[in-house]
Amino acid sequence: MRTYIGLVWAIARKDLLVEFRTLERLIAMGAFVVLIGILFNFSIDTTVVRPQDIAAGLIWMTIIFGGMLGMGRTFSLEEQDGALTGILQSPIPLDALYLGKVLGNFVLLSVMVALVFLVFGMFFGLTFAGSLVSLVGVVASGVLGFVALTTLFSAMATRSSMGEGLLPVLIFPLLVPVIVYGTTATNRLFAGRPFAEVDGNLRMLAAFAIGSTVVCAWLFRFVIEE
Amino acid sequence: MLWRVAPPRSWARGIRNAAHPPFRSPSWDGALSFGLEAVDLVRSFGGLRAVDGVSFQLEPGELLTVFGPNGAGKTTLLRMLGGVMKPNSGQVRVAGEPADVASRDWRHRVGIVSHQSLLYGQLTTTENLLFYGRLFGLRHLKTRIPERLESVGLSDRAHQPARELSRGLKQRLALARALLHDPEVVLLDEPYTGLDPHASAVLREQLASLKDGHRTVVIVTHNIKQGLELSDLVAIQVQGRFSSVTDAASLDLAGFERLYHATVEDPA
Repeated sequence: MRTYIGLVWAIARKDLLVEFRTLERLIAMGAFVVLIGILFNFSIDTTVVRPQDIAAGLIWMTIIFGGMLGMGRTFSLEEQDGALTGILQSPIPLDALYLGKVLGNFVLLSVMVALVFLVFGMFFGLTFAGSLVSLVGVVASGVLGFVALTTLFSAMATRSSMGEGLLPVLIFPLLVPVIVYGTTATNRLFAGRPFAEVDGNLRMLAAFAIGSTVVCAWLFRFVIEE
Repeated sequence: MLWRVAPPRSWARGIRNAAHPPFRSPSWDGALSFGLEAVDLVRSFGGLRAVDGVSFQLEPGELLTVFGPNGAGKTTLLRMLGGVMKPNSGQVRVAGEPADVASRDWRHRVGIVSHQSLLYGQLTTTENLLFYGRLFGLRHLKTRIPERLESVGLSDRAHQPARELSRGLKQRLALARALLHDPEVVLLDEPYTGLDPHASAVLREQLASLKDGHRTVVIVTHNIKQGLELSDLVAIQVQGRFSSVTDAASLDLAGFERLYHATVEDPA
């Protein structure tokens, strides 16, 4: 078990090391988030709509679109200079490779999500009345579900002749639970509703995240094996 | 041995008849295992048979060079030998053990060098080897990595990002990566691609050191001169099939070039 965790960590560590050196994906995602925050700020008439009421939806859509920019390139790094062949020739189990990729992507997306909340908090003047722990739980579950799916589909898209263009087409329909439960729970937490009103959504998000991770870890071998 | 000098055409037949290989005595020490064995390997992509019934046996310490034109299926063959790609049918055996790609032990026995470096340009040479060392679950990496870097003449580049290395140095690092776990079988796919004459000569010396009498080596290339230099055996692969296998000691460059061109032009 320790060896398995070590392998997962070796993949995630390598991905994070490469990313923090190049900042390739973080810059793309970060720039997108800031620009989208500015555009939403100008496009919403706050005399008609209260930002507080629509912020959760905008935040989740920004996470999804911004995340897609970065996660879509998960395997393109491996394709440069054929590094994926080197990994596949090593004795790492394919599910450990997948989980390492998910872990690396989860950390990267968490950085982007922190920026999303910062940007939207600044531009929309959001006040947060709910439990911060619950918000972290909701966002972490939603992000894990999103990352689990995009990591698998990114591998698929990389190996397809349509490339990254295929990713949104494949993945958006599957992200409906993340959007529905994530937006509802975040809205309620912004409104300061009690945890009991968020509990059901949080459970659904957690179940979706765990289910997606397990199923995608199993399916990964069929995508990656030649 | 007699089987090595048999005429190419009969070879082609014998080699595909892997169920009853007529061409080779069990082994140099009487044991029933070869260093590397391919048994009737087949791999198709759609309707195209990239590898079509390739079989061969190599004793430990032997070096086979597979020549062939572009699209002959050489890389596909090598990927199957390395366990990176599954054959549609047939089997690969290392020291008599069938390839089990899920087995950690089996994967420890094979190392691959490709025309691509299989490295991460953003990581330093040491970090690249550390990463692969961890994937192979190797111990004592702090001593093993400097040794490997020294063996390929890259000790002074230990902390240089791989992307800053020249093509020749990168290929030497790729060799160090492939040998890090001390595999019994080394597979090289067009290792000289993109190298200038000096870098080719240096790499050739590195490859010559692989012939230590224990390691089984397969090189895939379309460069006849470089491929012939180190070989014990040479094979010509055309349209997915081995059309000829010959003892390299019995060959001269001009004669083999004639055989190669004749085989490629008329594989039937």
